[in-house]
Amino acid sequence: MAEAQPIVPPLVIPQEREGSRPFVQVLHDWIVTVDHKRLGIMYFSYGILALVIGGIEASIMRAQLAVANNNLVSPEVFNQLFTMHGTTMIFFAAMPIVFGIANYLTPLMIGARDMAFPRLNAWGFWMTAFGGIILYFSFVGGFGLYGAGSAPDVGWFAYAPLTSPAFSVGHSTDYWTIGLLISGFGSIATGLNIMTTVLCMRGPGMKLNRMPMLVWLNSVMAFLILVAIGPLTAAQLMLLIDRFLGGHFFDTQAGGSAVIWMHFFWIFGHPEVYILVLPAFGILSEVIPVFSRKPIFGYNIMVAATVAIGFISLSVWAHHMFTVGMTSYANAFFVASTSAIAVPTGIKIFNWVGTMWGGKITFTTAMLFSVAAVAQMLIAGLTGIMLAAAPFDWQLGNSYFVIAHFHYVILGVIVFGVFSAAYYWYPKVTGRMMSETLGKWHFWLFLIGFHMTFDFMHIPGLLGMPRRIYTYEASRGWQTWNTIVSIGVIFQALAVLIWVFNATKSYFRGKIAGSDPWDAWTLEWSTSSPPPDYNFAELPVVRSRRPLWDLKHPEDPDWKYE
Amino acid sequence: MSAESQVKGGSQKPSVLMPAPTAWPFAMAMGTALVFTGLLTDVSVSILGAILSISGAIGWFRQVLPHEQHEALPVEAPAPVPMTVHPKREVMRLPAAKEVQRAWLPLKIYPVTAGVKGGLAGGVAMAIFAVIYGVFAYHSVWYPINLLAGSLYAPSATPTIEDMRHFNIGWLLFATAMHLTMCLLVGLLYGAMLPLLPRRPIVLGGIIGPLLWTGLLYHIIGYVNPILDDRINWWWFAVSQAAFGIVAGLVVERHHRVWTAENMPLALRAGIEAPGLIEEREHGDKK
Repeated sequence: MAEAQPIVPPLVIPQEREGSRPFVQVLHDWIVTVDHKRLGIMYFSYGILALVIGGIEASIMRAQLAVANNNLVSPEVFNQLFTMHGTTMIFFAAMPIVFGIANYLTPLMIGARDMAFPRLNAWGFWMTAFGGIILYFSFVGGFGLYGAGSAPDVGWFAYAPLTSPAFSVGHSTDYWTIGLLISGFGSIATGLNIMTTVLCMRGPGMKLNRMPMLVWLNSVMAFLILVAIGPLTAAQLMLLIDRFLGGHFFDTQAGGSAVIWMHFFWIFGHPEVYILVLPAFGILSEVIPVFSRKPIFGYNIMVAATVAIGFISLSVWAHHMFTVGMTSYANAFFVASTSAIAVPTGIKIFNWVGTMWGGKITFTTAMLFSVAAVAQMLIAGLTGIMLAAAPFDWQLGNSYFVIAHFHYVILGVIVFGVFSAAYYWYPKVTGRMMSETLGKWHFWLFLIGFHMTFDFMHIPGLLGMPRRIYTYEASRGWQTWNTIVSIGVIFQALAVLIWVFNATKSYFRGKIAGSDPWDAWTLEWSTSSPPPDYNFAELPVVRSRRPLWDLKHPEDPDWKYE
Repeated sequence: MSAESQVKGGSQKPSVLMPAPTAWPFAMAMGTALVFTGLLTDVSVSILGAILSISGAIGWFRQVLPHEQHEALPVEAPAPVPMTVHPKREVMRLPAAKEVQRAWLPLKIYPVTAGVKGGLAGGVAMAIFAVIYGVFAYHSVWYPINLLAGSLYAPSATPTIEDMRHFNIGWLLFATAMHLTMCLLVGLLYGAMLPLLPRRPIVLGGIIGPLLWTGLLYHIIGYVNPILDDRINWWWFAVSQAAFGIVAGLVVERHHRVWTAENMPLALRAGIEAPGLIEEREHGDKK
């Protein structure tokens, strides 16, 4: 690295380390905070805790499936494990993590001091947190009044009529319903807050077409939250009415419809995939240009593709229901719409490659995770297109091929993106650098583990292994593949442990980061690390999409070219 | 909303008004959660939740009505922490981008018409090979055309080879429309892709690309068009694909490349004269 030169005198408050104050006072400050940065850290930490819990559940499932005819856990516990794993990972790991990143970075990136509704922001976080606590309280309280059931065991999308009182006795399903209902309110609050912040709180000169890509992608995510969470909330309320007040919305015996639940769930469920993956796309769009030393390729078309993905994602939900028996016209429509979403997604992949092309690439850990995520997005997209063809889906729907496909998206893109973000913004959040050596260990172990698990998971799916199966007979020919898949989990778990160790060690002993360790271009790097409570002493004036580049290179500013 | 105003008073240190911390959102969230949890445990939990929730709401309202409560955070004197800024570094550049600071690669692309013409010419080449195959293998020029229209057939009415050797106006129209559409789309793709392919674009785009496409289709065509899958001759298919790729590539390559308009404003690209829409630049600055 070349010698550092001071350019802008940053206005900072010396940051006090939490350890120097009594624990109770620190705890109090975190509970009453309305600061977007603290809430962002709380969201992120909560999500990581859930990620670890969901990961442990997945590990137990993989241990159960590693060999044929295994009975490590009972079938009932296995049902609870896959239900809790799916629910935890989607609603209490992935969503809080992306909300945390959006919360922390959105105001900093647009030159604002806080979110539009700071108190609503706090309320949203606590609703999410209490939703998760209610869900996990089911392990001890799920027996309820009827002495049956424990943790929910109806699968993460809880199809009717399995959720009806006749088939799901006790309160386990109610804990699932109420936990998600409560966290859904929190999600809507967060979506509203992000949207309002972006529309109303941008700093001077921060026009919409100058916003960082991450902010754009978070805005579309917020829009999708506002549109998509509503149907799920409505369905949850209807399910509560069915279960508590004798309603018949989903009771097929009394004129209700089980298929309606599917529509309600998936009209939320598929946009939900984009609620999670769009912020990951945003992370890639920030990290790749900085470590390629080039502006993002095709900013305008990237924004247009983002908006297109947002809209198209609202019209694809029933590709989850090809095996239900819809009309051929409905099938044809959802095949076409699902295939169409590959176009803007493909544009993004081309543009990330275009950004790297001709650039001087530095393979930091953050960049490695981002590049891997781009490659894995391509594979996940291709298997997605395969499953978008209804005849193909009829063969492989509800098989392990589908599980492999969506884990490729969730882990291969979203989790890789989150790890990239963790390495990239950790210096901003803590003021310290993470160890790159440990980071590289983390990356390669996780990459190897990921591909062992999810590449090979496609094969038992193609051989006919259905999802949610408790065990299988050796004669099926699935054992070798399942053993490899399960061994991959060990690598991933080890990698995550290294990451946690790295983050903890670096917090206390990491190299001091300075305000802008990556020579980056967006506004969050113009303030100290960690930023003061008010973010910027004076709100920065923005003239281009790379305000820090302009500041550092007055002889060659970007605004001349935009 | 957070306060934007800054208080700067005489000898006092400058300060910034920020929303005051409050526990009421926490209380209201906990109350709401308890109201619902009472459904699963005991009504007393719901009552406690309702009390907490209402208290939280009232406390929250009092935080923002009639005036939002703030705390003034002092802005301390700047500590001498330099922003880590590195001098502009020389980076390796592609030869094409030597002259340009911000390379929108590729700098030059083929016009859209090149893709259209390439697609049509490639389509003709592909059709010729397909027809030759039909004549040699089935003594009929209509066989490959009818085969292409295979996705129209109902599974219950699968035509015989004899049927497919004869002219059918419906099948001809469908196959022609399908062939034209696909050729135009792939031609456009070629127009966009060829400038991006390094070194030998015709080899990559004209031979390797079509062969990979053939391999992909070989595996999935059975799901999409089972009749085509049953009767197709994959060697001939690969040859006609390569014929398409080479001819389309050669036609596209014959066109002159034009500068990409990627980073120009939409108004400029659309050829609209719109003074005032485009920001004025400093004297002498050019795009």
